[in-house]
Amino acid sequence: MLTKWDDFTRTFSALDEFRRRINNAFDEAGHPLWVYQTDQRPAGSWPAINLYDEGSNLIVEAEVPGLTEDKIQLSLNENVLSISGERKVEVPKDYAVHRQERSSIKFARSFSLPSKVDSEKVAAAVKDGLLTVTMEKAKEAQPRKITIKAS
Amino acid sequence: MTTEITKSNVETPELAQQRKWQTPLFDIFENKDELLLVADMPGVNSDNIKIHLDKNELIIEGKRKASTHSNALAVERSAYDYQRIFTIPPGVDEMKIKAENKHGVLRLHLPKSEAVKPRQIQVKAG
Repeated sequence: MLTKWDDFTRTFSALDEFRRRINNAFDEAGHPLWVYQTDQRPAGSWPAINLYDEGSNLIVEAEVPGLTEDKIQLSLNENVLSISGERKVEVPKDYAVHRQERSSIKFARSFSLPSKVDSEKVAAAVKDGLLTVTMEKAKEAQPRKITIKAS
Repeated sequence: MTTEITKSNVETPELAQQRKWQTPLFDIFENKDELLLVADMPGVNSDNIKIHLDKNELIIEGKRKASTHSNALAVERSAYDYQRIFTIPPGVDEMKIKAENKHGVLRLHLPKSEAVKPRQIQVKAG
């Protein structure tokens, strides 16, 4: 029987998702043996992010240890935010390796934002390996208070 | 008749503190002068990292601040603290341990004491 390639890859993405959830479950339990494996994610889910909706702003926080501003590419297309870049981990010269858990990674992630944002009003900063992108919502997406008139 | 419930398991003591922690990823390198530990600890500033050496146990802790933002729509990373403990070989000069934290990456230099450094022994012709 012929199977569409798309169905095939989708099966694996389901497995990836399954693995992510399993890992997260252990993460929540704070189990020391399993927790550090949560970082050995498939490339598609690096960096780990949090998304916040603060009314007039959308905020994305991403963990990008070792990366500086110039190593991260950010782009905004309509309401899709893309983060990409490359992190290189090198063995220092003339050192023997005992353990290597950190890895080099080429990453690219896109997020469709829950509301329209004003592409002119986006600010991004990196501090202590944490990228914060603050995006102001577009005028029409700003929360509005509607007053109810007494009749 | 004894009930199993009242038994406490000494092997797995309960945690006294409720704050959750996670183990950061580490690389460990060595050359003739030092051990070099490199760890990913994003979101922690230098003031919130504690390192101590107790006999041969090296304990690395990092306190993460909770995010200043509210109303999360998607959460992949939690503000857990970092903690990791390594057993390190004897001969590390505790007083000379140096640490630097840059862009969320911690680098720990553990210099070897003179006594354990490799030494070249000259063979004299008799």
